[in-house]
Amino acid sequence: MPSHGNVPAGREPVRGDATETGAGEEILKVHRLVKVYRGAATPAVDGIDFTVRRGEIFGLLGPNGAGKTTVISILCTLLRPTSGSVTLCSQDTQRSPARLRSLFGLAPQEIALYPSLTARENLHYFGSLYGLSGRVLRRRIEECLALVGLSDRGGTRIDTFSGGMKRRANLAAAILHSPRVLFLDEPTVGIDAQSRSLILENLKTLRDGGATIVYTTHYMEEAENLCERVAIMDRGKIVAEGSPRSLVAAMDGCVNLEESFLRLTGRHLRD
Amino acid sequence: MRTLLATIRKELLELRRDRAGFLVLLVMPMALVLIVALVQDNVMQATGETPIRVLLVDLDNGFLGQAVEKHLRLDGGLELIRKQGDREISEEAARKVVVDGDFRFCILIAPGTGAALREQVRRRAVESFVPASKPAKPAAPATVPGLVLHFDPAVQGAFRTAVVNSLQRVLLGIELREKGAALSDTFERKMGQEIVRFELDSEPVLTLREASDSGGRSSRRPTAAQQNVPAWALFGMFFIVVPVSGALIRERQSGTFRRLMTMPISLAGLLAGKVIAYILVCMAQFVLMVAIGSFALPLLGTSGLVVGPEWPVVGIIALSAALAATGYGIMVGVLARSYEQASVFGAVSIVIAAALGGVMIPVYVMPRSMQAVSVVSPLAWGLNAFQDVFVREGTLRTVGPNLARLALFSLATLSVAWWSLRKSRSGE
Repeated sequence: MPSHGNVPAGREPVRGDATETGAGEEILKVHRLVKVYRGAATPAVDGIDFTVRRGEIFGLLGPNGAGKTTVISILCTLLRPTSGSVTLCSQDTQRSPARLRSLFGLAPQEIALYPSLTARENLHYFGSLYGLSGRVLRRRIEECLALVGLSDRGGTRIDTFSGGMKRRANLAAAILHSPRVLFLDEPTVGIDAQSRSLILENLKTLRDGGATIVYTTHYMEEAENLCERVAIMDRGKIVAEGSPRSLVAAMDGCVNLEESFLRLTGRHLRD
Repeated sequence: MRTLLATIRKELLELRRDRAGFLVLLVMPMALVLIVALVQDNVMQATGETPIRVLLVDLDNGFLGQAVEKHLRLDGGLELIRKQGDREISEEAARKVVVDGDFRFCILIAPGTGAALREQVRRRAVESFVPASKPAKPAAPATVPGLVLHFDPAVQGAFRTAVVNSLQRVLLGIELREKGAALSDTFERKMGQEIVRFELDSEPVLTLREASDSGGRSSRRPTAAQQNVPAWALFGMFFIVVPVSGALIRERQSGTFRRLMTMPISLAGLLAGKVIAYILVCMAQFVLMVAIGSFALPLLGTSGLVVGPEWPVVGIIALSAALAATGYGIMVGVLARSYEQASVFGAVSIVIAAALGGVMIPVYVMPRSMQAVSVVSPLAWGLNAFQDVFVREGTLRTVGPNLARLALFSLATLSVAWWSLRKSRSGE
């Protein structure tokens, strides 16, 4: 077990039950990943390792500034790491980023849609860019709209949507091309319980359909219910990794993931 | 190709729904062309490029008024108005219309001027035959009421001088003719026999012909439409920098650009889609401007735009300018860090380039230092190319250097944008 980047100084990372990591095919492998932004004194990502298996929902948790979005950006080929490697579907993301881009989908933290276009027009554009066309594209648009509960609002402009509807449409745009791996950067932030519940149900449906999901969130309860495994990040390092249940069990006196999270990352405020 | 077509379609859809952008791109240049062409047509009238309307109040009602009218009409520089509606105009009414600004000039011929002129000329002719033994007497001062030229004090000095000179020349001709006739009569009487009739022709022997230099090609006099339609159409086309850069900034801020960069698409295809969509908009804008210049301006009483037989060259110039404008907009959108930065820098830089390029005032009236700087303005390249075709009957070969400059500018701006996007996509 590597001990270099997954530990705060002087501490061993908390490891959950190794048998819960599953025995499926490794679809994403992150090895000694480091990212130092130009001019920054400390690395945003500091030598982390983790592996995600096919059909798994893997949660990347951490306080603000922990390095979650930087990790997602590197996984999506948007950022070049300072050192280390990422292997996605057995291919190095730095060597062949263009070839890998059709294999994954990204739902960024922002509502990455064109506000003056309707949901259907947005999906038509992104679907076309993924190489879908004609009947296949139209079918996928309707399937994705149905999955996120927007079938009857497909002809409505995005700028008239509520926050929850926008988040659901944002997810629909990421799954149009049936990606093998789905990267979700805080997909449920700032929305009501109903929309969040629907999105989480959708993620389970996608997982059941064979998709692998890597997602970041601040909602511990959400991660506890949804993820097979989580990695808790703090200051660019992974401070704990395993199934939510095993991480709770590993911390004396903790009854849920949020308590374990606070114990691991501390209660002081982050910028 | 799929990226290209999908992006063109998406950009046009977005533009169609952007009302503010629509106003900036179509309505603003349209209004500018109409207003500025009409205003400048008036200025051109006021500076002598078109006949000047002059009120002629002839209270003398004799040969003098008729002669003045005849010669000024032949001169062509002034358009004489004798009546207001069906009525003759009184001296008082004439002064009022000048004060009110309805006419810039009014020529007033006082009663008895013609008769007094003939009497003076006859007297001087007689007095000019002096016996050799007697010393010559100085000529008696003129007592002819004369003509008065009333003018609006707001009239520019050069323009007033031009009208005064034109009128002086006509009066000199009339006076010369009268003097010739008087001299002939006096000779006849003094010699006691009929001599060959002595008549002076007032028409000039030495003439000055105006010829504008157009490199051996024929040329047209520039009208307000020929100056303003291409100038403001170019300004409108380059103003596309505001919506283009704004759209790119919004894409970056909303995260859509982040999403696009993770997709299996080529950066060149994405950029080309945007460029083509905005070029289509620029060309639509240009066609609209030309239509306004050709059809709407004549309806408003000013001369219209004459495109001439070289319309394919005009189309190529417009296409080159559209490419340059779009390339610049994309570069600003890629390099700017915020919408405010892009819109302010984009708009201000275009206004400066337009001012330097001769869109607002012709380059030749600028100070030498500014003229030297104006050669770096893409709007100057476009405007020079248009003027070459519209006024100097230029061809593709003559506008070639300016087209090359526009093409190089487009290549440079798009390369900077592509390089910057490529750098950000590779996460460097």
